[in-house]
This record gives sequence, structure tokens and C-alpha cells, in this order.
Amino acid sequence: MVERNTFRLMLLILGIVFAFLYIPISVLVGLSFNEGGLPTAWTGFSFKWYGALLEDSDILGAAANTLVVAVVSTVLATVLGTLLAVGVEIRRRNGTWLETMIFAPMIIPDIVLAIALLSFFSLLGVQMGLHTIIVSHVVFNLAFVCAVVRARLKNFDWSIVEASADLGASTATTLRRVVVPVLMPAIVAGALLAFTLSVDEFIIAFFTAGAGRSSITLPMQIYAMIRFGVTPEINALATIVMAVSVVALALSQRLNKGGLPGQ
Amino acid sequence: MTQPFLSIRDVHKDFGAVKAVSGVSLDIRENEFFALLGASGSGKTTLLRMLAGFESLSAGDILLEGRSIADQAPNRRPVNLMFQSYALFPHMTVARNIAYGLEMDGLPKAQIAARVDEILQVIQLGPLAGRKPDQLSGGQRQRVALARALVKRPRVLLLDEPLGALDKKLRSAMQLELKRLQAEFGITFVVVTHDQEEALVMADRIAIMKDGALLQVGTPREIYERPGSRFAADFVGVMNFLPVTRTARGFAASDGTAIAATPALPLPEGGAVVAAVRPERLRIGTAGANVVEGRITAIAYHGLDLLLHMDTALADAPVVARMTADDADTHTPRIGRTVAMSWSAEDTHIFPA
Repeated sequence: MVERNTFRLMLLILGIVFAFLYIPISVLVGLSFNEGGLPTAWTGFSFKWYGALLEDSDILGAAANTLVVAVVSTVLATVLGTLLAVGVEIRRRNGTWLETMIFAPMIIPDIVLAIALLSFFSLLGVQMGLHTIIVSHVVFNLAFVCAVVRARLKNFDWSIVEASADLGASTATTLRRVVVPVLMPAIVAGALLAFTLSVDEFIIAFFTAGAGRSSITLPMQIYAMIRFGVTPEINALATIVMAVSVVALALSQRLNKGGLPGQ
Repeated sequence: MTQPFLSIRDVHKDFGAVKAVSGVSLDIRENEFFALLGASGSGKTTLLRMLAGFESLSAGDILLEGRSIADQAPNRRPVNLMFQSYALFPHMTVARNIAYGLEMDGLPKAQIAARVDEILQVIQLGPLAGRKPDQLSGGQRQRVALARALVKRPRVLLLDEPLGALDKKLRSAMQLELKRLQAEFGITFVVVTHDQEEALVMADRIAIMKDGALLQVGTPREIYERPGSRFAADFVGVMNFLPVTRTARGFAASDGTAIAATPALPLPEGGAVVAAVRPERLRIGTAGANVVEGRITAIAYHGLDLLLHMDTALADAPVVARMTADDADTHTPRIGRTVAMSWSAEDTHIFPA
């Protein structure tokens, strides 16, 4: 039975791939609950490192910054990305290059985007801080939201827009009562994806945060802490960041069963 | 004469170099059930979309009760369109779909509820008011789309292939249903269809369109019995075409047989012509002015009647004759048998070929 053996081999390879992907993460999560705090010995289950996070004002401050950046950039990117997706779909002339232009921020290496944004803000003489991180995150999040909404628009029945107009609705009413509700699953999925990307984004935030502690985000804080070695607090913090990302991403995938384009 | 209710005046529509509609003029009466009949690409849907306001006019004008509506946006026209795809709002229930247009009119809530209930009764979908479109069958969706357009009580209801997506049995039932609703609501219906049978059954008048222009406008009976062109004769119903030549005394088939005809239409001088006769006008026997003998090659049984396909000396294509079930009982046609058929001069159409 060649086929059965092939199948077993494929299962084995699948197992190895999953092990490769998830063992490091499992170790991290496991250690975050290790009471002793040493990576070498398991001394018992404890939430104490999570408790320790709550007493660290630097971490709490960074968490608040990350939340502000993620929420504001997600809202802005979702509104702009959705409008962009609908607009591009309606006026589909020169579609190919327009699409490439829109999706470029998804493909351009983060470090390039980071340097570009830093130079741009410096050139304009903008004082850097949380607001520049927010603007920078909108730049790439907009592309992701647009991509997710565009995917949903591929199966969008435009005759319902005409039907709405035919029944007496203005363009704004049609957008509010027909287009947005029908696209809502994709819009929410795009927003969740944008939120996830923003929460754990490091390079661009690092470049565009400016000097000073006031605009440090969580990934930047972890980077600062790790220079003194991996502490159990970092494990706990990383676990929380990961949990937030996984939940948001899972919700996003669930809402948008079509999958993510360009991913 | 009073002014026409809906007047289409020399309307043109160009899509780039393509002339989708060229020079259509048409008056539609109040409370009329009017059908635009044509093959795909004939411009009928473009004309309908211009009436709805979704396509601008390249030239010409559209007047409703004497006032031009050509520049009115779709949401301001007292005209509603029932879409071929139905275009129901997938996120709304049946009742919300139907209420939508009334909400746009700013009617009070109680009145909207009453109107929605009323129309749900008419289309017999009351129990399904809370369903979403994807929980309905094709026929139910079609009725919701109709109700949604009808509930606004528009001056004109436009229907784009309203029965196109239904199966045959449901389609015949809905043809009569549409006629009943049209009479009940007293609304002018303009329906676009490629189905000539549908147009014949439903419409008060039919306009046949071809290549963006009107070919013929008339009642179903006029269209069927006095087709104005070879195309119209071929497009509506079944028609036998016999190549004929002009002779000193009339017309002759390719084998020389004289064809008796009393052409209703003036024929152009010279040029090739073709004779035509409907299958039901062929009778068994030799009583008519034109007699043909043919060998039966195929019999298509349709229940009420049968269609005989016969090889004759008159044409290369088989001549089709319709025989009622009663006639079939007495004459028992068999494949391979030779029968004599005849038809009268009045039933012979002559068209420029």
C-alpha cells in the first residue's frame, strides 16, 4: 500500500513542521508560568510574573501607548481602507498599477518603510511621538484593510447598490444602509488584522517614536528589557501580546472565511 | 389627442463606438403592459436602464406625463425597476427589504408596516416575512423583488427579464400572476424579455428590438399574425420560410410550383423575396390554394398538438406543420408516410429576403 505509506510520511512531515513552529512558543508560554523564574528548572505553576507586570509602571505605560496606537491607527486605517477599496472597485480604470500602488506597503520591507517614514517626518520637521507612530501604522494597515475588503468586494453584487438608488436612497444612505452592512464582516476582519499588526509592530514604531520615554510601545519596551537578559516578566508579557494577537487573528479569519489576499 | 403617458423620443445611447440604442421613439400608454422583446444585444435592456435612470441618454428625451425625466437621478424618478438578479439586500429580512423604499419616502412607521403587510398578503409570503433572502427559493425571491418595487406604487414599473430565472412551470404561472398584479395595481408595466412566448402571453403591446432599433410595435396578435419583417416573423413563434421568385402572375417556389399569396405589406421593387407560413395554417388535405406533398421525417409530440417535420420539394429545410390531437387521432401520422397539406393565400406572408 504505497498510498498509505505516502500518507503516513506526509503526516510525519506535518508533525515536524508544527513542532518546529510551536515548540519555541510553547517553551515561552510554559516558562512564563514557572514560579522559580529560571529557564533550567520547573519549580511549580504560578501567575506571579504576570502580577509583577502590573507593578511595573514602565510596562504599564508602554502597554497604554500600544493600546492607543493600535486603536487609533486601526480606526483610521479601517475607515480609509474601506473607502479606498470601494472607490477602487467602482472606478476600476488602470486597475493593475493602482492595485500595486495600494498593496506596496504590505510588501515593502518594514525597515525600508521605517527609514522612509523617519526621513519624511524629519524633512517636514514634525515633532515625533505617538502621533507619528499612529500615522506610520495607518500607512501599512490601510493596505491590509483595503486588501481584505477588496477580497469581499470581488463577490459583491453591485445591483443592490442600483436597487437602493432605484428605491429612492441617496448615495450616502446607500453606503450606510447597504454597502457597509454587507461588507461589515470583511471590515471587522480587516480591523482585527490591523489591530494585531499594530500591537506587535516594532521596527516602524522604533524609528518613528522619537526620543524620550513617553512614546515607547510594548514591543519597544520588551526590546529595552531584553538587553539585560530574558526575564520571566518578558515571557509573561510576550505571552499576553501573543494571546491578544492570536485571538484577534482567529476572530478575523472566522469573520472573513474567504482568507486573506497577499498573505 | 391627449399627450402620451410615457414618451420615448428619438433616444440614442452610444457606448464608445458601439450604438446600443439608435433612434428609438415609442409612446407607452397609462396602465399598459408593454413588452420590449429582443435577442441579447438588441438594446432592450439599455433602453430599460435609461428609463430607470441608470444610463444617461446620448441623445433624445424621455417624457413622463409631458415632463422630461431624462436628467432625473434614479432615486428621484417615480419609476421602479425589478432587477433581473432581483438585487435583494442580503442582510435584510423580506419585510425590511420591502419596507426599504417606503422608508426612503419618509412614510410614518405605522403606514410602512401596513403597506408591507398588505403586499405580503398579495404575494402570499406573509409567513416568510422574517426570512433572509438566502433562505428563500428562487420563486419566492422573485416575488419579494416584485413586491419591493411594487409597494412604492411607482408610475411605471420596469421589469428586467422578471421570469428569466424561474423554471418553466413556475414561469407560466407567474406570467398570469404578473398580469393580475398589473391590473390590480393599475401601474404601467414595461417588461424586457427575450422570450417571445412570454411577451405574447403577458403584454398588451410588444415592441420588437433589433440592433438598437425598433423593428415593429403592435399587439401580440398583430405581431404574430402580421409580422412586419422576416426577422420578426422568425423571432416570434415558428415560421416556415420558402424561397420564392417573382413571376409575372405572382410567386413561384424553387421547383416552379406557383405560390398563391396576397401580400399585406408593400414589397420593394425587385430583389429576392421569401414566402412564409405558420405551421398551424397548414391543413391536411388539398382544400387550400397552396398544396404541398411531403414525407414525414419527424414527429414532435407536445400533448395538445404535434409538430410534423416534412421533406418537401418547396424548401431544403423541413416544412413544419402543426396538427391538433384530434386530427392526429383521425389521420395517425407516421414517420415515412407522405401526406398532402394545404394553406390559403391569405396565410402566405411575403418578405424581402
